[in-house]
Amino acid sequence: MNTRFSSAAELLALVAESGLHLPAFMLERDSFLTGKSVAETHEELFRRMAITRQSLQRGLSERQSSFSGMTGGNAILASASADPPVRDGFFNKAVAYSLAVNEVSACGGKVVAFPTGGSCGIVPGVLWAWHDERETGEPFRSDRMAEAFLCASAVGIVIATKATLSGAAGGCQAECGAASAMAAGALSWLMRRDAGSVFNAAALALKNSLGLACDPVAGLVEVPCVKRNAFMAVAAITAASLDAAGIRSYIPFDEVVEAMRSIGESMPSSLRESAEGGLAMTPTGKTCADRVR
Amino acid sequence: MADRPLTIFDMFGPVMIGPSSSHTAGIARIAFLARSIFDGEISAAKATFYGSLARTWKGHGSDKALVAGLLGIYPDDERLGFSLEIARRMNLNVEIISEYRMPGRYHPNTVVIELSGGGRTLRVRGASVGGGSVLLQSINGFDADLTGELDAVLVLHHDEIGVLAGVTAALAGHGVNIACAASHRREKGDEALLVVEVDDHVPSAAIAAVERIRGVISAVHVPARSC
Repeated sequence: MNTRFSSAAELLALVAESGLHLPAFMLERDSFLTGKSVAETHEELFRRMAITRQSLQRGLSERQSSFSGMTGGNAILASASADPPVRDGFFNKAVAYSLAVNEVSACGGKVVAFPTGGSCGIVPGVLWAWHDERETGEPFRSDRMAEAFLCASAVGIVIATKATLSGAAGGCQAECGAASAMAAGALSWLMRRDAGSVFNAAALALKNSLGLACDPVAGLVEVPCVKRNAFMAVAAITAASLDAAGIRSYIPFDEVVEAMRSIGESMPSSLRESAEGGLAMTPTGKTCADRVR
Repeated sequence: MADRPLTIFDMFGPVMIGPSSSHTAGIARIAFLARSIFDGEISAAKATFYGSLARTWKGHGSDKALVAGLLGIYPDDERLGFSLEIARRMNLNVEIISEYRMPGRYHPNTVVIELSGGGRTLRVRGASVGGGSVLLQSINGFDADLTGELDAVLVLHHDEIGVLAGVTAALAGHGVNIACAASHRREKGDEALLVVEVDDHVPSAAIAAVERIRGVISAVHVPARSC
């Protein structure tokens, strides 16, 4: 089996050649690469999906606090908001869910990095919100949900292969930005089941976060990371909305990733997870850093 | 990242106790590896956090992760959050030091772990290189390059002819395929550390066979654990 690709274009060609759809191809490919059966790989996928569901439930039900005290309790506030400006269950759940999962991570709970710890709320937040509002009849362990998680992974693999998923190397565009593109692609798959659309939605989302600074207060994965998970969940939904309307990204996905790589390389190190610039160097940020050091 | 093709679970993973794959999960893995290499009861431990870790270990719970690893608690185990209490109950004292200045050749996220117990000591230097992946770069003063992603056999031996041949034959005899092997010595004729990463499970009989080889001082099996 040919498993090597270094761009979305190459991946889509392999998918077309295989006669499988994109998520099925990703599953077969993983099985081929690891030597584990497709059934085992599928089961491991379900196991990790179940952990994201547990993180979500915990974040929505337990009031938590991080070691620094900067994070905790906002997912509960978001989910209980009495009069949110947008009156749509999917939208509001995506905001609360992505906060919930990432708060659990920031507060030392159990999560699955996706693609990183600091961005782990975005994909599960969007996908479980969709499930709970639009596919309520589907079990958590449904093939459709598994397909969505696989499509998100496919988008992430292309970004990691062509560029980076590390905030220290490429800024936040490489973490929350990448997760937003992954969530957009996965959501597009749920709506359209079309591999090309997955990467169109991903391109639309990724363009929106190019150049984003990684400037965490006190060097901790909390501020602005946790709340940014909610913003990036919304950006992913916006991208999938544009894609569903038939709006094409003028710049194709592979070129957007290339731009992301080049922007990451030209970003100063003060904005790449060093806690030496941006929000980390604000008076409030510095006070916090002194307190937790 | 590595040259190998990336998989679904490189994206959707590791399963971990937050907040940070590099400053929490990775540190637990390094400590877990140190415990496996030490292979005995630990009575005292000291850890020095360098660079980014020195500045942020408190907020990232890197101390809890480190102690968890020393206790054999893996990065995806929720007992990680209570490791300091567990260590206290077990009378394991772990000293933690922040070192803001660091030698230039060190990775920005480096921890040095020193363990003692039963009359033996171990000193390892580990780098948390991102996404929970780690690299043990130094073991008791020997250069090393251990990821913990594959099972490994570590062989301390006198630098003399035939040791490597003996080890590869002993492993082959027990059905163990070698993925990668490297021997590191301090200077010619001195002691050397052979690090062998393997594809298969290593039976204890294979370790015993390696220890019987002339010139071998000790051998230890370091099992792989991914998350």
